[in-house]
Amino acid sequence: MVETAGNYGKHRRVPYLVEEDGKLKTVYVPAMSGESLAHAYQEHLVREALSAGLPVCDDCQRGEFYKSMDEVHFAPKLFNREEVFESVLANLSEVVDITISVLSSEIEKERNKKKQNEDKIKELEKFRGFMENLVKSEKPRDYILKNLSLASQVFGNYVIKKGILDLPPVKIEDIIVKSCVVEDVGGFLYTGSAPIRRSSAFQVSYALPVKSVALFATSEPQLHARHAQMDASSKKGNASEQMIYYVETGTALYGFTFNLDLDAIGVSAITSKPILDENEIKKRREASLKALFRMLSSSQFGAKLSRFFPVGGITELIVAVTDHPFVVTSPIYDDYIEKTQRRLKVLKSFGEESFLVVAGEEKVPEEALKEAIDYLHEKEAF
Amino acid sequence: MKVQLRPTGIIALRALPQSKMRTALRYVPPTTLIGAISYPLLHISDDRGETIYEKKTFKSKAESVIGLFKWVTIKTEGRPKLYGSLLKINTIYRGKVQSAVTSFPFAVFYGESTNSLTAAYFVDEDALSESTYSAKDLERAAWGITRLGSRESIVSVEDVKMGKAVFREANKVRTAYAFPFKGVNVHGKGTLQAVVDWRLGIGDYSNAKRMVMFYPEETVEVEGGLSIVELDGEVVILAP
Repeated sequence: MVETAGNYGKHRRVPYLVEEDGKLKTVYVPAMSGESLAHAYQEHLVREALSAGLPVCDDCQRGEFYKSMDEVHFAPKLFNREEVFESVLANLSEVVDITISVLSSEIEKERNKKKQNEDKIKELEKFRGFMENLVKSEKPRDYILKNLSLASQVFGNYVIKKGILDLPPVKIEDIIVKSCVVEDVGGFLYTGSAPIRRSSAFQVSYALPVKSVALFATSEPQLHARHAQMDASSKKGNASEQMIYYVETGTALYGFTFNLDLDAIGVSAITSKPILDENEIKKRREASLKALFRMLSSSQFGAKLSRFFPVGGITELIVAVTDHPFVVTSPIYDDYIEKTQRRLKVLKSFGEESFLVVAGEEKVPEEALKEAIDYLHEKEAF
Repeated sequence: MKVQLRPTGIIALRALPQSKMRTALRYVPPTTLIGAISYPLLHISDDRGETIYEKKTFKSKAESVIGLFKWVTIKTEGRPKLYGSLLKINTIYRGKVQSAVTSFPFAVFYGESTNSLTAAYFVDEDALSESTYSAKDLERAAWGITRLGSRESIVSVEDVKMGKAVFREANKVRTAYAFPFKGVNVHGKGTLQAVVDWRLGIGDYSNAKRMVMFYPEETVEVEGGLSIVELDGEVVILAP
């Protein structure tokens, strides 16, 4: 699904370009975006990580993959783990004092304006009140966790943004990666004063109809009606609860590509050094592979699964494992298996080992995925 | 080094500066080609770095491999179509209802034609010999290009050819590869696109110098005082 316009739920589409009599014609075919597949993968990753006892931040646990996009979203990671709180906020009283003085001068500035913004002043006073209570509190971390939303705003917008806490990029990345498997594997873009970029260790293409049958793909609006009860006193045609609505459904044989860079997990995108110990890195790699297995075998991706769960399943699957980056030929091309096999042979000339497994008529996808995971296990990737 | 790429249908390249209504580039700029090869190349040397921090400035790690290349360009088969429907997004976040209209356009390389892309990397042999990489590393890195642009723009490398390039001067050539649109006369169809001049660094796009590139549809005839390279039976025009 792309969006709902009134009572019409639209399926995502992409143009398929056809040449007719020397002129280009566009046919719109149903598709799934890489973002949609990536979101589904990360939801599976949350579950796999939690079941393995690995850390996942609150936002990601809720399926809200904002990641540590700014100081306010990053701030909770300073409080959630005791060791981080103790080390980063060792001089808490000093931090609080500086913040209170910053807030006081902001309040003063606001009050001296010709046009006073009462809401802004109230908010600043609330922040200052929070900091004053924090310094009096016997258990400051507990007090922060009880008022997490407010604490995130004060620490995010003032303590971190104004540089009251000295947090170099390497330290911020370290805290984020240690706090959340999803941000480690799925990457993040922190837009603080020194931006921190961590590219996603996994990549997903759009799921598009396979080219040879793309023109047979359909996208149809299905009519539905929601009925409402009317009692004797109701006027006919006045039951607003009664409603017709349309949901577009797509039918196609889709193909998509998924890349996963296991070497990137738990490793700094600034220093190239491991942030986590080897044992934790291996656990996270295993969780990321299990999440992919679970996503594909359960068909839990895409929209409207509760009432429009697709009929069908995986018809073919190909998995390649290599030492350095390599991408299988996209399954939207008919010759993708043969092409991938030939391309992998080239890697041998670089003295590189590779592994390939194909699921089709003889092997089911789960067997192929398991073989790939077993191979990685043998190679001590996890 | 000639690298043949197959897209997975779409290539999302954002033109900067960004806004809520992001515009997309129709053709692959040279900066993207540098970024595309830097990831597998750095991977070979176990370098996972993405950002270089120098005091208060920060730039892309891809900058560290720029010196290896004298010139990069691309040949695009088929004419990509820019597509991005308008989306209205409604969310409830922390109790607040938010609504925005946006669009994530991209270039579509999806249809009956092959839509093949061929990247040409001209390697500076002296810079390569002084670096920690070998020609073999570069070739392996080329096989390892995973995407052009965003994480949705996955490509697979179908072929890599290495060879010695001979530079020469010419007044009139036919080419299918993108070239700088400066001091030349062009006969044929194509698209002009302003791109970041990667030779001056790709660390910061906001103030980067731009150059105009001509992306031919099929082949075009170009006249002028041209510096060219013959590559596997094809001609590539270099920057003046």
